[in-house]
Amino acid sequence: MKKTLNINIGNSIIHIEEDACDLLNTYLIEVKQHFGKSADDFEIVSDIENRIAEMFTEMLHTQQKQVIELADVQMVIELMGSVKDFENDSEEASSETYSNPNFSAFGEKKLYRDTDEAMVAGVCAGLSHYLRMDVSILRVIAVMTVFLGGSGLLAYLILWVSIPKANTRSEKMAMKGEAVNLQGFKRNFEEELSNLRDNLRTAGDHMGPLVKQSRSFVAEFAEVLGAFMQGAGKTILKFIAVIIMISGSLALIAAVISVAALLGFWDASTTIFPLNIVDKGYFTPFVIAVLIVVVVPLLSLILLSIRVAFNGRSINRMFSYTLLLVWLCALSTGIFYVAKIGSEFKEDAEFTQNIPVKSYPAYNLSIDRSRFFSKEDSLHYQLNSSYYTGRIIQDDERVNFNAPRNVTIRIEKSENDVPSLTESYSSQGVNFETALYHAKNIHYDFVQKDSVLKFSPELHLLKNTNWRNQEVELVLKVPVGTRLNIDRDLDRYLQGYSLWDCGDDERRDEPYYGVMTVDGLKCKFDQ
Amino acid sequence: MIAENTQTQMRKGILEYCVLLIISRGEIYASDIIGELKAAKLLVVEGTLYPLLTRLKNNGLLSYNWVESTSGPPRKYYTLTREGTLMLSQLDGTWQELSFAIAQSKESKKN
Repeated sequence: MKKTLNINIGNSIIHIEEDACDLLNTYLIEVKQHFGKSADDFEIVSDIENRIAEMFTEMLHTQQKQVIELADVQMVIELMGSVKDFENDSEEASSETYSNPNFSAFGEKKLYRDTDEAMVAGVCAGLSHYLRMDVSILRVIAVMTVFLGGSGLLAYLILWVSIPKANTRSEKMAMKGEAVNLQGFKRNFEEELSNLRDNLRTAGDHMGPLVKQSRSFVAEFAEVLGAFMQGAGKTILKFIAVIIMISGSLALIAAVISVAALLGFWDASTTIFPLNIVDKGYFTPFVIAVLIVVVVPLLSLILLSIRVAFNGRSINRMFSYTLLLVWLCALSTGIFYVAKIGSEFKEDAEFTQNIPVKSYPAYNLSIDRSRFFSKEDSLHYQLNSSYYTGRIIQDDERVNFNAPRNVTIRIEKSENDVPSLTESYSSQGVNFETALYHAKNIHYDFVQKDSVLKFSPELHLLKNTNWRNQEVELVLKVPVGTRLNIDRDLDRYLQGYSLWDCGDDERRDEPYYGVMTVDGLKCKFDQ
Repeated sequence: MIAENTQTQMRKGILEYCVLLIISRGEIYASDIIGELKAAKLLVVEGTLYPLLTRLKNNGLLSYNWVESTSGPPRKYYTLTREGTLMLSQLDGTWQELSFAIAQSKESKKN
């Protein structure tokens, strides 16, 4: 039993066996390649096709049969002559045909899965043909990589799905790097025939209950599984495609809306951390570039899902190229701005100011979330500064977790027995001037109320100032012997000292205090 | 190899002449031309004829009609054009000269 195909040649419908069709196809491709150089190529080829169709019709009629077989095609080719015969009698210089890059006498090797020699799905066997390596070496490597965290298994599955199976004779030949032309075809066919003959002979010798099995059980199983996946898998695939389509569309809409919202309500000093890195001057083009970089792959994913889900036609090539071009433009724009933003962090600047602290034998250190109105604040909120001076804004407890820690407090021993606080403001910028400008635009609240030292939990940037790694480093120097009651809230700002190190686990909740000693801050308990 | 090449060249020129001669006898189908040429032992494979016919047609020496066929696709029946007839008479003259030249060459060798 053999599979047959219906072909349309020279406007006649011909039944043809599969291998015969392969041979005919190869022959016609060779003929087309041969005549491809001349202008009237189409006419010659269609003349030849018409004649072949006529020969087939005559054969079917005279031999009283239904189907064209391999032998018939071989006969037709003999009558028509192979490309080699044309070359001898050819009108044009035959050297032209040799320079045709499509016509590869050695055969272009292609990667296919070899299911004939498969252990599982023929991935290793196919690769061994492609790489000209021994298949057992590849299999050992494959099995070994499975134990490397299962990466081999994943790679195998991906290759199984992505590499096509070698179905037809010409695909099998391309897989083995044999030239897909008539000579190669003939050789391949004869090889297979002799193999078959050998098999039949040996099969006769050991004809048992198990017919000689050239393929492993696993390969058979994988084949069945593959067939199942193609049937049931198609439905699953469509289902997944629909899900991707819907979620992708929602993500697309969300992206567009959020960008529109961002562009509408943009203000550098009030927005959340990662966004306030971008300078207002180029925020809009940067965000649009990022939007396109994100949206284009999303859009192609959606289009692909639509195609899978509804068996739609493939996307217009022109359209996909345009999409790719737009994406690349947006990507380069984005990279340009990222580099520009990166350059904004090139130089560092820092300035320090000393704040006198009134002398007390003991201090209470605490976090104060309230904020004093400065002159800048009054301008910022457009308040009458003379009226509101000295008033306090009660900040809510919202802590910006995304922002890097930008306030650090260090408690040190004072050398001259005078308490003092040093505030160091630092920032980065494209050059020293901008860095210093950014540093000067930092606003930080520190208040002493008698023996209570109140620290603000975060620094504030003036309006429209971008995040340029602004930091405030506070160094509190107290004389030896000074007692410090440190609020637990302050712990996350303290550097070089942790309140959690104070005491062991049982005494954690007991009241404690810190004392400045010659060796630095030490903690003590009341009891 | 050189002998082969010369043979091919000679065959090529004569093939064209013969094709024109065969067509000049009346409207004829390509595969019948092949039959004639095979009988004359001039043509080995059919594929060679089609490029030749197309070239002659493109040079204006031949024209063809489509004729419906009982078996298979419609056939092209070729005829000579006026130019083709003119060309053929020129070729006749050339052939006379050539055969004279060959005969003469062989004669003089004998002497």
